Amino acid sequence: MSQIKLSTSPISIDSVPVTVDQTSIHGRIPGNRGIWVGIFCVLVEFLFLFGVYLISKAHHPEAFSTGPDKLVTLAGTTITLLLLTSGYCMVKAVNAIKDDQRKASVRWIILAILLGLGYPIVKYFEIRWNVEHGVDAEAGIFYTVYYYLTLNHLVHVCWGLLGLICVATFTNMGMYSSKNYSGIEAAAVYWHTTDIIWLVIFPFFYILR
Amino acid sequence: MMIGLAERIWLILIGLTLVGIFFAETGHAGWLLTMTVATLIIVKGNFVIDYYMDMRSANKRIRNILRFFIIIIPVLVILIHAWGDEIRQVITVF
Repeated sequence: MSQIKLSTSPISIDSVPVTVDQTSIHGRIPGNRGIWVGIFCVLVEFLFLFGVYLISKAHHPEAFSTGPDKLVTLAGTTITLLLLTSGYCMVKAVNAIKDDQRKASVRWIILAILLGLGYPIVKYFEIRWNVEHGVDAEAGIFYTVYYYLTLNHLVHVCWGLLGLICVATFTNMGMYSSKNYSGIEAAAVYWHTTDIIWLVIFPFFYILR
Repeated sequence: MMIGLAERIWLILIGLTLVGIFFAETGHAGWLLTMTVATLIIVKGNFVIDYYMDMRSANKRIRNILRFFIIIIPVLVILIHAWGDEIRQVITVF
């Protein structure tokens, strides 16, 4: 377990350096440190992208007010429901491995993957419908930002799906247990991060008008 | 089937999503819709952070950064809605 010293110079009690479990100072870190570096990079990236959305909205309020009318709300709603339900499956997968129920955990992860795969499928049909109705990236500033943000999010969802496929395989191989489940938890928190970002994207492009 | 905490949170998230859609599809727009959407983003985001990611007892710095992300963007949308012209002028200057 990772440990840190309380100060830059070791504090000693009877000449014995005092160390303390890091989780007792700042709280537990779900997953591992590496995944949180990645997650914060993604959050910073999307902060900039939402900055683009907000600046464009300030300059073109009319385009952003009427833009959602041409998008398929049902597609956005379906993606939201798929991601939220897939996220729920990952909560169950983590809970199952904490109880050493390896097979149940694998089943929940596979279900999360199947639901997650619904996202690119729905997106494919949505974009095809959009293009057929003249809603492409050159249809206006709103749609340019819409494609820029949603396709970027889709790329991150694909990374998340690859991560879920990896942890499903590793869990099935018996690499995780109630004593070592940081890998599953890391994949789960990344997956939930894509949920959080979508919870902002969805109303911005499909609802707010 | 037993309804546990995870199931309750999932149902709440689905319910709040449908409330937002119903609100928009029934013709609400402008200030009311902006405030509703911003509130729903913050509430749903915090549910995901606290219960899906299980951050309630986790590292406070990480939790606060996630909360900052889910709060700052809806707040900026409200500001753009309220003072869009003024903000546009400031942005244009820079």
